[in-house]
Amino acid sequence: MGSAPQRFPGPFGTRSSMADTPKSRPADEPEEESARNGTGSLEELRHLILAPEQEALERLHERIENPESRTNDVSGVVAEAIHLRRQQGGANALSEALAPTIETALRESVRKDPATLADALFPVMGPAIRRSILETLRSFLDSFNQVLDQSLSWQGLKWRVEAMRTGRSFTEVALLHSLVFRVEQVFLIHKVTGLPIAHAVAPAVAMQDPSLVSGMLSAIQDFVRDSFHTGQGQAVNRMNVGDLDVWVENGPYAILAAVIRGVAPRSVRDRMAETLEDLHAEYSAELDRFDGDTSPFADGNRQLSRCLETKFREEPKTRGYGYAWAAGIVLLAVIGGWLGWRWWQYRRWSELAATLGNQAGLTITSFDREHGRFVFHGLRDPLAADPIQFVKMANLNPSQAEFHWRAYYALDDLLIEQRAISALSPPAGVSLTVKNGVLHLDGQPSSRWVSELSSRALLIPGIRAVDLGRFTPEQLAFDEARIRVQSEIVKFPLASATLSSAEVAHLRSLVPSLRQLIAASSALHTPLSLEIVGHSDSTGAETTNQNLSQRRADRIELLLVEAGIPASVLHAKGVATTEPVRPEDNEQNRQFNRSATFRVQTANSPEP
Amino acid sequence: MIQKKICMLGSFAVGKTSLVRRFIESIFSDTYQTTVGVKVDKKVIQLDGKEITLVLWDLYGNDDFQKIHWSYFRGASGYLLVADGTRRATLEKAVALEERARQEIGSVPFLFVINKCDLVDDWDVDPELEARLVGKGWTILRSSAKTGEGVDEAFSQLARKIVG
Repeated sequence: MGSAPQRFPGPFGTRSSMADTPKSRPADEPEEESARNGTGSLEELRHLILAPEQEALERLHERIENPESRTNDVSGVVAEAIHLRRQQGGANALSEALAPTIETALRESVRKDPATLADALFPVMGPAIRRSILETLRSFLDSFNQVLDQSLSWQGLKWRVEAMRTGRSFTEVALLHSLVFRVEQVFLIHKVTGLPIAHAVAPAVAMQDPSLVSGMLSAIQDFVRDSFHTGQGQAVNRMNVGDLDVWVENGPYAILAAVIRGVAPRSVRDRMAETLEDLHAEYSAELDRFDGDTSPFADGNRQLSRCLETKFREEPKTRGYGYAWAAGIVLLAVIGGWLGWRWWQYRRWSELAATLGNQAGLTITSFDREHGRFVFHGLRDPLAADPIQFVKMANLNPSQAEFHWRAYYALDDLLIEQRAISALSPPAGVSLTVKNGVLHLDGQPSSRWVSELSSRALLIPGIRAVDLGRFTPEQLAFDEARIRVQSEIVKFPLASATLSSAEVAHLRSLVPSLRQLIAASSALHTPLSLEIVGHSDSTGAETTNQNLSQRRADRIELLLVEAGIPASVLHAKGVATTEPVRPEDNEQNRQFNRSATFRVQTANSPEP
Repeated sequence: MIQKKICMLGSFAVGKTSLVRRFIESIFSDTYQTTVGVKVDKKVIQLDGKEITLVLWDLYGNDDFQKIHWSYFRGASGYLLVADGTRRATLEKAVALEERARQEIGSVPFLFVINKCDLVDDWDVDPELEARLVGKGWTILRSSAKTGEGVDEAFSQLARKIVG
């Protein structure tokens, strides 16, 4: 299109020049007619040659003038134009140009219906929030692990002392020692007014008012410049106090100041410079006309936060989270040990409870641990063993035991036996035993004691029967009478079978015992034989002595029969010197052999 | 957020710092003034429902112009020119300071505050000078950092002048 006017002169500007061309008119024709004919031909020629071009120009003109047509044209290339602009490196300018419109459109969309934008953002909001939370948590855990690592070491103890000495928290002290560096705060400060434009601060950093800090930083810059007469473009680019550094980057309209703890690498300054350049590129107009209103720099804080960098000391890999693990293991071991010890204590006391429950006269109804003490409830017989003795035997602490007993009578044989011994007071030589609630006797009880026993024993709790065995009153009476009778010796004068009056009286005194013996044997249904044994001393001939001893036995038998003793139970027998009562080693003993004695025999008696 | 830098200007011991202290709670020590020559404080005020942060640069008062760090004045949106109502010379000095300030930063809103108005017996203000200054279009306020009279009003009026 651009070359067309060169090839075809324009219809308006070129008309006269074509008309004036001498070659276009024949010389022999009248001028007017010639001119008329010539003009007509020219018009026709022009129409033939230029009509398509003219129409094209008219269409073009109409297209340019018509807004609807223009819109159509632009809509066809707008996407490609934006794409091309991005490729040419004009993304920032494009974004800047589009940002206000997009912001307004978004605001309008939210105002009309917040749900539309919320729905559109829904798929990205969740992951974004999760990522943000994860980053925050990871950062927190890293810090926490660092602190935990150190808190259990010797160094950690030193830091604890330092924290106490300086009045700072342990976490703060530990964090500061663990840091290589941390960019704690970043200020974007307007150069002329010293007012803060934007400000970013790292998490958990104590923050001073940005307005005041910015003001004083600017004042210090001015102060140094004034005091040392440095050039206007020059500025303090670093201030240092202890482990705090303030790095300053200068821009045409604003300065960027970063408060850094520790030793930061050069890359931090590079990043500061980069950020300041970006901010100047993005907000150059706003910075130029800044009058204290920070609203155009709403995104500035986010951009500054790029400079907030933290680096911790790298610990040897092998160390890892060893301290944390060790602490965890120690803690678990302590808890486990404590639980184990408690379980073991409880088990020992439970075993004691079982032991006590097995003791005669002790019944445990409940056992539990209450407030560190072991409490037993149960029944206790007054004669039962002392439970404290069992606690001591088990090597347990008696002060940890608490017993609550209710008294009762136990039916254990052992305790019934003790109870019977206590109540019946058996005489010496007599023993009592209880088996299955039955009281048994042993030893040499008297018939009188036994007769009382039978009635009293059944009153003792737990004794349901008394087994006297051979100690029946009849048997005891028989035994007593037999012993008495068999111990008697009726003495005769020398070589005589006649009793003195005193011995006759003596013999008669035996009659009741003999009658008792006979009655007892009758009660026992035991046939009785009372042998009267006649003795003689060793003086004299044996035949004489045999005769004399027989007569002495016969004499006693006669007297007893006369006293009413049945002759059927009496048997007189002379044994001469064959069964001496005493050895004849003196005269007094010899006298005992001039006598008669009694031998009681029953069906059960062994042969003499 | 809207912030405005305001300077306190006046001779030595006219009560600039006392006025600021009466107006705000400061976090910096007053020794800044004698070392760096300025102390920066802040006060957020409400003006017609809008929140405005006044960043106050309290310049160390010195009667010798050469010793004032005029660079601190740069970028100020306005200033309070303070004089001591019991010392006539400080008023005259204030007039000179205003002229110098105008040279430094051009015409920006300011208020002339004659301080120590509680000391009625010692009051020594030349009415003619006062009238002349009013005639020049100065806004003059009387204040007392001791009683608090006129303090809030001075800052609010200056803020209003600045915001317009």
